[in-house]
Amino acid sequence: MIEVRDLQVRYAGRLVAGVPELDVGAGECVAIVGESGSGKSTTLLSLLGLTENADISGHVRVCGVDVLTASPRRLREIRGARAALVMQSPQSALSPATRLGVLMRRALRLHGVGSGKDGRLDEIMAESVAAVMLDRAILRRYPHEISGGQAQRFAIALAIALGAEVILADEPTSALDVTVQAEVVGVLRRLREERDLALLLVSHDLALVSTIADRVLVMKDGEVVESGPAARVLTEPSHPYTRELLEALP
Amino acid sequence: MTMLRAERVTLGYAGRAVVHDVSLDITAGGVGLIGESGSGKTTLARAFLGLLTPISGNIWYGDQILKKADMRKFRKDVQPVFQAEALDPRMRVGASVAEALAVRGSRTARARVPELLEQVGLDPGLATSRPHQLSGGQRQRVVIARALAAGPRLLILDEPTSALDVTVQARILDLIASLDTERLLITHNLAVVERLCRTSHVLFAGRVVESGPTRDLLANPAHPYTLALRDAVPKLGGPPPQARGVTEAVPAGTGCPFRFRCPLAAPECERPPALREVRGRQVACHRAEDVLATGPGSAP
Repeated sequence: MIEVRDLQVRYAGRLVAGVPELDVGAGECVAIVGESGSGKSTTLLSLLGLTENADISGHVRVCGVDVLTASPRRLREIRGARAALVMQSPQSALSPATRLGVLMRRALRLHGVGSGKDGRLDEIMAESVAAVMLDRAILRRYPHEISGGQAQRFAIALAIALGAEVILADEPTSALDVTVQAEVVGVLRRLREERDLALLLVSHDLALVSTIADRVLVMKDGEVVESGPAARVLTEPSHPYTRELLEALP
Repeated sequence: MTMLRAERVTLGYAGRAVVHDVSLDITAGGVGLIGESGSGKTTLARAFLGLLTPISGNIWYGDQILKKADMRKFRKDVQPVFQAEALDPRMRVGASVAEALAVRGSRTARARVPELLEQVGLDPGLATSRPHQLSGGQRQRVVIARALAAGPRLLILDEPTSALDVTVQARILDLIASLDTERLLITHNLAVVERLCRTSHVLFAGRVVESGPTRDLLANPAHPYTLALRDAVPKLGGPPPQARGVTEAVPAGTGCPFRFRCPLAAPECERPPALREVRGRQVACHRAEDVLATGPGSAP
């Protein structure tokens, strides 16, 4: 679902993210870990062509679309629909004066999902909300009436409703309490298994990553310093920086 | 005698209580306040700092009620450490630390700045920098230096490391552990509490639900919320974090506030549970013995 070769993202000539190789297949979870400024979020955004004013070179395919050469129209077909982005604080992206149900309906129409018959649309909405263990009543609420964990699950439900095959998640649980984090992670794990979703997760939390990811890329100062199966990288790290990260866990 | 003590305090804003009837001593060896967003931990910290007057109950400072105590002396004794965003962006680091010293009546404030910066592991040469020129970890060290300027006996630390990268966090925790002061640490990070606090109190919906030695509390929780918190923390190479019960908002009313989420909720939970002694700790749960029995392992 995601295939990256020799990706280099530069701002004003400076290399911000360099990723030689990154593959995420259906039903797989790959995590990019690292500290602030390591280039992990830039890598994620570049996969959807969302890095503005950057010089990008290399080869990036997401859902079969060559992201770096695709037309804006072709990009819109995958962006937000087949490949969905889940950010740290979805609440700030939800229009405050719009009920969540209206918001979801609008997004679905925009992407041509369930167009024509409204009954089908309602069914898709109800089903996607249930998939993230939210009550249907949430669709009548406004964004400020829901908690951070509910907002994050709603963002995932929106991705499901739009028929996402790939979820790109940037620190999706960093702003949440641990108990709520456990819920959101549970939802992501289940969706991955039941729907064969490909999941690319950006996180600074190595412990969390170790419980969900198949493979891990460790980034530092814009470069991948180590990559491999999560079980190996996080138990027998070969790079000193990975060891430092692991030792720093409280 | 403990320096600061809350006695049956109820706290709130605009007449609405958010912390209910909490009694808590700040004892030696570090005290942790654990709980999720909205549990009342920061509100309680504000009351301990004299920034919020209780609706009922008292904060005791030694043998005096805090609001009647000598606040000059109190501000020297008890200092807050918040997240590093609290620094004045226009002020150079040295001036910022000197200001904290001068407020405490140090006539030689300027001269003591290098010494304080060194104490928190900063190069005294950074005194001429402004906050935006420093890293997050360096800024947090400046915040700690400012707090130490008063020569406090107690630091009240509210999520001092939650905005920092793990490697930086580890170094700040080392620094806090090395300081010769008592501490009240407010955090949602159980690992941090385990490291820095001998005693911990778990808050849920504005009430203390479990108190005791941190190690026992986390090794074998007696309150289902403590258990849920512990099992929700991901462990390196461990099983996936467990979500026990659903984490929706707590409806108002009587009875145990946790019963809506509790997997062990029973009819008796419609009555509010009082704090009681169970195996060396205080627990507010009718079914504490059952929780302890499911305890040590983290099997769901």
